[in-house]
Amino acid sequence: MQRVTVFCFLASYVVAFVLELSRMLGRSRISSLVAFGIGVAGLVAHTAYLFYRSQQTSLPPLLGSAHDWMLVLAWLLVVFYLFLTRIHPELAWGMFLLPLVIVFVATTYFMNQAPNTLVAAERAKHGWEMLHATVLVFGMAGTAVGFITGVMYLVQHRRLKTRHATHLGLEMPSLARLAQTNRWSTIIAFPLWTLGLVTGVALSFMKSSAGASVALRDPFVITVGVLWVLLAAVFVRLLSNRPSSAKHVVWLTLCACGFVLLTLIGLQILTKSHVLPETWHAGEIKSEIRNLKPEICNRLEVPS
Amino acid sequence: MNLQVVYCSHQTADLGLRERLAFTPQRIPEAYAKLRERFPDSEWVLLSTCNRVEVYAAQEDEAAAPTHRAVAKFFADFHHVPLENFFGDLLEQTGPDVVRHLFQVAASLDSMVLGEPQIVSQVKQAYSLAQAHAAAGPLTNALFQRALNVAKRVRTETSLAEGRVSIASVAVSDFGQSIFDRFDDKTVLVIGAGEMAEETVRYLKDAGARSILITNRSAERAQHLAETWGGSVKPFERLDEWLAAADVIVSTTGADKPIVEVARFRRVRAATGEKPVFILDLGAPRDFEPAVRDIDDNVFLYCIDDLQAICDQNRRARTKEVERAMKIVDAEVQDFMHEVYHRATGPIIKRLREQWREVVEQETRRLFAKSPHLEQDRADIERTIELVVNKLLHPPLEALRDEAREGTPHGLMEALKRLFRL
Repeated sequence: MQRVTVFCFLASYVVAFVLELSRMLGRSRISSLVAFGIGVAGLVAHTAYLFYRSQQTSLPPLLGSAHDWMLVLAWLLVVFYLFLTRIHPELAWGMFLLPLVIVFVATTYFMNQAPNTLVAAERAKHGWEMLHATVLVFGMAGTAVGFITGVMYLVQHRRLKTRHATHLGLEMPSLARLAQTNRWSTIIAFPLWTLGLVTGVALSFMKSSAGASVALRDPFVITVGVLWVLLAAVFVRLLSNRPSSAKHVVWLTLCACGFVLLTLIGLQILTKSHVLPETWHAGEIKSEIRNLKPEICNRLEVPS
Repeated sequence: MNLQVVYCSHQTADLGLRERLAFTPQRIPEAYAKLRERFPDSEWVLLSTCNRVEVYAAQEDEAAAPTHRAVAKFFADFHHVPLENFFGDLLEQTGPDVVRHLFQVAASLDSMVLGEPQIVSQVKQAYSLAQAHAAAGPLTNALFQRALNVAKRVRTETSLAEGRVSIASVAVSDFGQSIFDRFDDKTVLVIGAGEMAEETVRYLKDAGARSILITNRSAERAQHLAETWGGSVKPFERLDEWLAAADVIVSTTGADKPIVEVARFRRVRAATGEKPVFILDLGAPRDFEPAVRDIDDNVFLYCIDDLQAICDQNRRARTKEVERAMKIVDAEVQDFMHEVYHRATGPIIKRLREQWREVVEQETRRLFAKSPHLEQDRADIERTIELVVNKLLHPPLEALRDEAREGTPHGLMEALKRLFRL
């Protein structure tokens, strides 16, 4: 299991994506089956890697680090891709889902792999942290699905407006189905984001009362707050009865979801590269490390 | 062994003749009964569709094969049609050509619409009926089972059946079902009541459409369509109202200028909002002004030229697959015929082996009776004799197998019979 690296499953997803792209040359049952098989192999390696990391850090993958959290998000999308491909092999879900999976997995190279010191300091009690990380990962997955279905809607809409036949290898769900999935994934993602933010704030107060210096001025928290406001505006718009075309709604969710994904990935990368000032999400806060007990520092392999 | 097919198809005979020679499902049992009565030594399969009437026959004994004229006479007597009226249109093929013909038919290479899927189930049904009426036998079983496998190979290994080729199916499947997920909650408005409208409504009904409004200048024709497809007739004078109510509009009027101009449809959209509307303008000249499609993002307008272009494109794509499909058919024909020829040599090989085994048994019995001390080496001796027999038999059997690649090796089989007194 130690030999499984991020590159193993990243390569599997790239190969599966290339095979999915070969649909453009015409539908081939064999290449679809091979793509599915390689996707399954990638998922197995991906799961093994997360399991190994979890053992290494003694933390659940969602709490391990930004690197692990992002890999869990990619894992969820791969499961979604395999499930949809299994029930609708004729639809080109892989051509749209796999690029996002590849981007997510590739960005983990630039994310912090060290466990978050505040989480790692507590050995057993991770209830709030777990809730915080879980709702956010599902919120992010919903946002990703909203983004992908938005792109698919626009491609399908363009084909129908330009009166082109269905490309044999590039069959997609109907506009109605795509618009519905796009709308509901964004609607469902928003409460999850909200819960994530609330639990995050609650956590910061809990940590503060326990003596840790966790500030709401954390740039990560502030940016997530701004994104939440953006999503809230989209959420209200989606639930309002104001008449507008499905295409406008899709553009709105596509832009919002795209912006959220880009900002959050960018934030995680900037955190690792120390461009941002110290943040609770960095996992290596010098001020926090200074306050940690020596045995915890030893476990995390950081100098006390 | 003999294989034979006597047939007429859309390529050889007109629809009138095909209709007169067709075997309706009700008369199929009678046809099989009469064929068995007339030609008791043959196996039979009747394949009768709107595009072809084919009678397949197979006999173990070639001498028992009916002549082309005898089968044609059966057609004439059964359908009460004078033989001279159709004998020239009724073709015959024998031997490997029968196999190739059936494989091409089952793979939809001989269909009016290349690659259409119905023919496979028609072939399967014909074969099942022949079995049910005890008309099929081992030869036709092997032939038809292989034909169904060939059809499956062609369907999965080529793109011959991909892409729709009729205007109505392209309209509903390629476009309609790409816009809407379901049709059971949609209102379909049919303007005009032509043949094309009827075909499109059929596809929409198959896709689940339930609410169908029909409006036409002639209420009588509209009423006929409404009765056929369960729709309701609406007055043509209130067209704007029906345009606003509809999610799917199929227009096939014979009007000489567009009946729905941009301004008119803009007014309709102002009342309905931007709900998706799928418009099939199947009229020639057009019933909708082309600029209607640009009114908003949710107007999806397709005219007959758009749909025809896609049909042609799909048809061309299918034609490109014919060569690949024919290669599969040729390889399968060769393989099947080799099996058939080889099967014909089976009885000779069996008899030859049995005769030699008898000789071996007689001689070994005699040897062990005469020399009981050899009993301890019995197993070795018997194995050695068996090896010698196999080695001696190998060249004639190999020659027989080689000869069977090209056809039933009558000469060699006769020579073996005489040489070994079989």
